[in-house]
Amino acid sequence: MSETAIEAQGLVKRYDGDILAVDGIDLSIPANTVYALLGPNGAGKTTTISMLTTLVQPTAGTAHILGLDVVRQADKVRRRIGVTFQETVLDDELTGRQVLDFHGRLYRQSKAERRAQIDELLRLVELEDAADRPAMTYSGGMKRRLELARGLMSTPDVLFLDEPTLGLDPQNRAKVWDYIRTLKDQRGLTLLMTTHYMEEAEHIADCVGIIDQGKIVIEGTPRELIDQMGADTIRMVGQGDCEGFVEAVRALLYVESVTVGECIIQIGVDSGNKRLAELVTLANDRRMVIEDISIAKPSLGDVFMKHTGRELRDT
Amino acid sequence: MNAALTLWYKHMIKLRAHGEETFGMLLQPVLWVVLFGAGMRSMMEGMTSDNHVYIAFMVPGIVALSALSGGIGGGTVWLEERKNGIVKEYLVAPIPRLSILAGNALSTVTKSLMQAAVIFVVGVLMGAQVSGNPLGWMGGFVLTAAYGLGFSGIALAVASKTTSTGAYHMLIFLLNLPLLFFSNALYPLNTLPGWMKVGVRLNPTSYVVDGLRQMVVVDGAALAGGDTLPLWLCFAVVIGFAVAGMALALRAFNQSVR
Repeated sequence: MSETAIEAQGLVKRYDGDILAVDGIDLSIPANTVYALLGPNGAGKTTTISMLTTLVQPTAGTAHILGLDVVRQADKVRRRIGVTFQETVLDDELTGRQVLDFHGRLYRQSKAERRAQIDELLRLVELEDAADRPAMTYSGGMKRRLELARGLMSTPDVLFLDEPTLGLDPQNRAKVWDYIRTLKDQRGLTLLMTTHYMEEAEHIADCVGIIDQGKIVIEGTPRELIDQMGADTIRMVGQGDCEGFVEAVRALLYVESVTVGECIIQIGVDSGNKRLAELVTLANDRRMVIEDISIAKPSLGDVFMKHTGRELRDT
Repeated sequence: MNAALTLWYKHMIKLRAHGEETFGMLLQPVLWVVLFGAGMRSMMEGMTSDNHVYIAFMVPGIVALSALSGGIGGGTVWLEERKNGIVKEYLVAPIPRLSILAGNALSTVTKSLMQAAVIFVVGVLMGAQVSGNPLGWMGGFVLTAAYGLGFSGIALAVASKTTSTGAYHMLIFLLNLPLLFFSNALYPLNTLPGWMKVGVRLNPTSYVVDGLRQMVVVDGAALAGGDTLPLWLCFAVVIGFAVAGMALALRAFNQSVR
């Protein structure tokens, strides 16, 4: 399938008071893809999703879901998408089953259709035993899973998940990851998710867009992005003449990339073990005092730092 | 319409699940009729020959008052749904925005009609004489529902404009008080000073109360001191109020989600 499921051109959202939340985003996401928007809080992830899901209108630019315009054909878009929001949005006085049933009614599903969907989805998110308890008795992970099931209730072709694993324990997070892969592989869904967990993006996304200050700074498969960083990454934190040191490092042949942010220096090299001693010596020569040093296989976090000059903290 | 009924259905499920809310909702108008009615009746005793007159006069007024309180409650539900984000579930669904508001207003009106039924029963138990004409009751039903829709619309509009529960209640009570006391709900029009009469004529509450008195209370027109409004005007004003209220709510809601 080569159909484009999600497309955006020059998407801008400016809120009252002149806050530029999204500053010209372009997207072209093929069908049956898991795409992760990775970025820190306030980068514009949620606003981007809100525009794509017809919740807010773009200030400029256009967006299409399955070829349908999100502003002019909002109602048709709404029929084809499922959404889970960043915060837990549940009428938690209702039971899990009632939450799903109500959602199905909103989409005018027949009774038989709703019943079949509910049974299948409760099984998928493993909430069969809790289905007839009010959602307020659920744990955070169960609520999240119920919301995921709700997003799927209307059998969407495109599913938007805003921070689907925010605040979940590792066990629940792994479950959600499983569901996402299953949905993509077995149901042919297109998924756009946001996250600020880089390990999450690395794990489940076919394609990652790193977003910072309302712009996508780089896009590619996790592998492509990481491979740009060199085979190993040496990270140094130090004081003193950082700039002089960086200048010297850039001149070295085996260095593949250098990223600097407030005297955190990230150096992509061909082989970490081999080059470590040389770099330490060089730092000493340049009168930079090393406070911390580490070698690691590069991660998406390093990619993020390379393109934004800041660290993406895994909070 | 389907979506409005779906939302209404959800609110009814929740109402049924909360026995204490239903109990309070039905007890509140009983207390109004019994306590306020008994107090006023004893005061009125010196003035009129028939003790039961004031209860019959007051019952339609208490119906309007309950509809006002109901509207405030509906606005509170809406504000909560906006604050905790549940409105977003409605907004991404393929349903018209008006139906989202209408669903809320329908629930409010349903509760008001249940309260109205209780009010009439208690009123009759306390001696009010009510009409046996089914047409009159149907007219009363329409008037009460339309009035409830109108004030629900105002409450929903206010609740769409703010995210502060305190601000909402402050504003809505400012609107609620003149709607109630600047009307013929609790005292007859002909006893009021002239400047107040003007305000009363401008208030849709007067039209629902007056219409109810004429249609469902025995000798309602006489109870009101003979100073009644034409029935067609009562319907026109109250239905106009319903349309205007819902339009106001839709406008405020559309502005809030831009």
